Amino acid sequence: MADSDMFKNFKEHSVAEFFKKNRQMLGFSGKVRSMTMIVHEFVTNSLDACEEAAILPEIFVQVEELSKDGDHYRITIKDNGPGIPKSHLAKALGQMLAGTKFHRYIQQRGQQGIGGSACVMFSYLTTGQPTRAVSCCNGKRISANIGIDFKSNKPIIEDVGEEPTLETGLTVTAEFKDVRYERSNHGVYEYLRRTALANPHCAITLIEPNNEKVVFPRSIEQNPPKAFEIKPHPLGIGTHDLLEFAKHNKENRRISAFLQNTFSRVSAGKVDELQALLPELDFKKDPSDLTWNEAELIVKAFSKVKWIAPAMDSLVPIGKTQVETSFRNIFNPEVLVVTERSPKVYRGGIPFMVEVGIAYGGGLVSAEKRGEVMRFANRVPLLFDNGGCAITETIKSIDWKRYDVKDFEEEPLAVLVNLASVYVPYTSAGKQAISIEEDIMDEIRFAVMEASRGVQKYLSGKRKAHEIATKKKVVGRYATQLASDLATLSGKKKSEIEPKIAKIIEEKYASEPGGGEGEEGGADPSKNTDKNEDIPESEGGDE
Amino acid sequence: MMASTASGTMTKLEALGKNMVVQIDKGEGPTFETTLRTRSNTLFDEAIGCLRSGDKKETRKFLSVAQARTFMQTVAVAAKTKQFLRENLHTSIRGLFYQLKFTLGEDIDEDLFTEQSESNALIEDLEVALKIKREDLNLTTDRKGFVAGPMTILDRFGGEETLIDLSKQGRSGWSIPSDVDNGMEIKRCDADYVLVVEKDALWQRLNEDKFWKKENCLLVTPKGQSTRGTRRLLRKLADKKLPVYCLMDCDAWGWYIYWTIKTGSMNLAYLGRDFAVPEARFLGVTMKDIRDFEFLQKLTIKAKDVDVKRAEEMLGYPWINRHPDWVAELKEVIKTRKKIEQDALQGQRLTFVGEYINNKIKKKQWLS
Repeated sequence: MADSDMFKNFKEHSVAEFFKKNRQMLGFSGKVRSMTMIVHEFVTNSLDACEEAAILPEIFVQVEELSKDGDHYRITIKDNGPGIPKSHLAKALGQMLAGTKFHRYIQQRGQQGIGGSACVMFSYLTTGQPTRAVSCCNGKRISANIGIDFKSNKPIIEDVGEEPTLETGLTVTAEFKDVRYERSNHGVYEYLRRTALANPHCAITLIEPNNEKVVFPRSIEQNPPKAFEIKPHPLGIGTHDLLEFAKHNKENRRISAFLQNTFSRVSAGKVDELQALLPELDFKKDPSDLTWNEAELIVKAFSKVKWIAPAMDSLVPIGKTQVETSFRNIFNPEVLVVTERSPKVYRGGIPFMVEVGIAYGGGLVSAEKRGEVMRFANRVPLLFDNGGCAITETIKSIDWKRYDVKDFEEEPLAVLVNLASVYVPYTSAGKQAISIEEDIMDEIRFAVMEASRGVQKYLSGKRKAHEIATKKKVVGRYATQLASDLATLSGKKKSEIEPKIAKIIEEKYASEPGGGEGEEGGADPSKNTDKNEDIPESEGGDE
Repeated sequence: MMASTASGTMTKLEALGKNMVVQIDKGEGPTFETTLRTRSNTLFDEAIGCLRSGDKKETRKFLSVAQARTFMQTVAVAAKTKQFLRENLHTSIRGLFYQLKFTLGEDIDEDLFTEQSESNALIEDLEVALKIKREDLNLTTDRKGFVAGPMTILDRFGGEETLIDLSKQGRSGWSIPSDVDNGMEIKRCDADYVLVVEKDALWQRLNEDKFWKKENCLLVTPKGQSTRGTRRLLRKLADKKLPVYCLMDCDAWGWYIYWTIKTGSMNLAYLGRDFAVPEARFLGVTMKDIRDFEFLQKLTIKAKDVDVKRAEEMLGYPWINRHPDWVAELKEVIKTRKKIEQDALQGQRLTFVGEYINNKIKKKQWLS
């Protein structure tokens, strides 16, 4: 496992200098945010490494305040992952990378690969201190101090020690200034809470600067399935994309073979269908001879053929039961509805899928959480830049009143949205907001609507039950007086009449709704008819 | 008579309760039926000549959030009045209200009644549902009208029987009680007709002149709008074939008082014939009088908007506009925008009004 593909594709860029001047692009702007970003970068790397090595992640985070004035902290992050081999340690942490995995169609958290080294750089910039790394890998415990030479984008590695060990894992310790620890919505605590929510297979321990120990326990004893690389899906391909792929094509001599080998779900049968739609096009000719017009025709024909949806195994969603389990563990809500949409593609055939969980009441009431939107991309919590994010924008666009949610901001409601994709279109290198993509927003909208409907069903049922109970109470309070007066009028005994009246009231307001007479019919028929917005189901299944 | 009416009402009240108990025994929510008392269910009965309720029924239900409280209150009023009847005691609606103004229970933060106004509608419900009058429930109303004249009444009240001679009531007359049916009996009546004058002032004037003695009539004043007792008494006198003549102001209010006596009012249409005197005649004052008596021309008043509006409304009522003399009268009011009060008849000399009435009756100069 050790020398796996993980460390093969490092591409060196002299970007350190650039990021030194533009560190806000990485998200290192603002003291609280900077601290969260540091924890985020290391934690995501740890989670990715653990999952790839099939280890159930156990992550330890400690934040220590070094000066009383604040702003100067030591942060330690320790995982039980595979560790990093000595040969790669310096590069992995001490060199800004344009991406280890960027060129592959596979879903991982640390997509752009600038994370760990950016933190090392940040530490070095603010304190002049190197980062202490201890990597237990392949029976060796390697310790080293790592810095960055900004000019050459080369790592500086010092004080290297090596001794045998049976453990695995990576521990990184670094000092930072210009950061601050806060238990706010943007702080480390909230970040780790949400990480635990979206990653029920991991256990996280946090030691806060005041020495308070917070444990987010593991709720599922199984790692998510591994993602595989997949080819783009024809439905997400534009004319320009098709031409690009055709230009870089080397192995295939014929368009028919090129289509089958370049895109997923394109079989010989599907090529025949395309040929039938485009009789004038020669599918035997060389892909590099494809003209713009021809490519356009093929793309149009793509939309007329019924395709099997993109393969699920390129995407690693949190999973319905997993969301439910961790939601229950963390919030213990009164009602919880989770929807998982089938995979779709956006732009150049990039598969993605959306999961939504909506929790209402219960623990959310006591936690004083109101209208909380929890954004995730590949199970990584997005805490910042919520303004321009596709998730926030979509949720804002939803008419919550239709779902019996009077005021979204005031209700004990938590909405979790996770976008799983091999390539998440972040708005910036800070990776805190998803850019406005219509295809993605549509899916988010449908998923939220679907889940909202479930919540609404519960809420309206609850409200109805409450109404019936109220009616029963209103009528019931007159039963004794009525019985007494009827006894006076009829000469019968009050003690015989009263229990009968009570029973009649009980039956009447147990059988409602529907059994109501006259003006107090239970269900409002106008309520359910106007709600059926169309939610297109994804065609095909996931196989 | 008194005993039979009271026991009849008692039986009806008991039946109301027993029916509900039967419903409850069957596992149904208790209900009772009443007549819809809305304008749309109010009609003019051509045969009788009065306003009455139509046939539309309404069911009151206990098992309804909107009705439960009123239902319970109605039954409470029924039960309480049954007690009044048994004890043979009377009280006003206000007295009833205080009898029922108690809390529903220690754990219920609500009174059976909070305001008297709540009880009015449901007393009407009981009247209609049981086909009785509220007076039958021993509920009294305030008295207002007065009578003097050759009539003797036997009043059984408070365990005593009193014979009352209405010709011996001096300057004040006999005050018409709220209930002239229960415990009240006309022993002797020698009058030739009944004269109703709108205002107490004119009644006192005519009483001083011994008008009722000279004319051998019953002199009645409702003092404005007639109470239920006054209307009921007039009905009973009309039943004795006595002509009923009315002398009112020639204005909106005067007409309204007259037509309420004659046909009943829209609001209390459910009372029907028992409270209407379709035989009643309108002696005056009329617009024609202004032409006939020169001195009255100087005594007219400018009609107010309300008078003209009322006249226009009345022209729209089928039971009024079928009388050509009334149509002419009302049109003249609208045209001339004049009105005149009955007091104006004393303008020339105080005793003129007696002559005026006498003359009008003799010459049959009245409006229907």
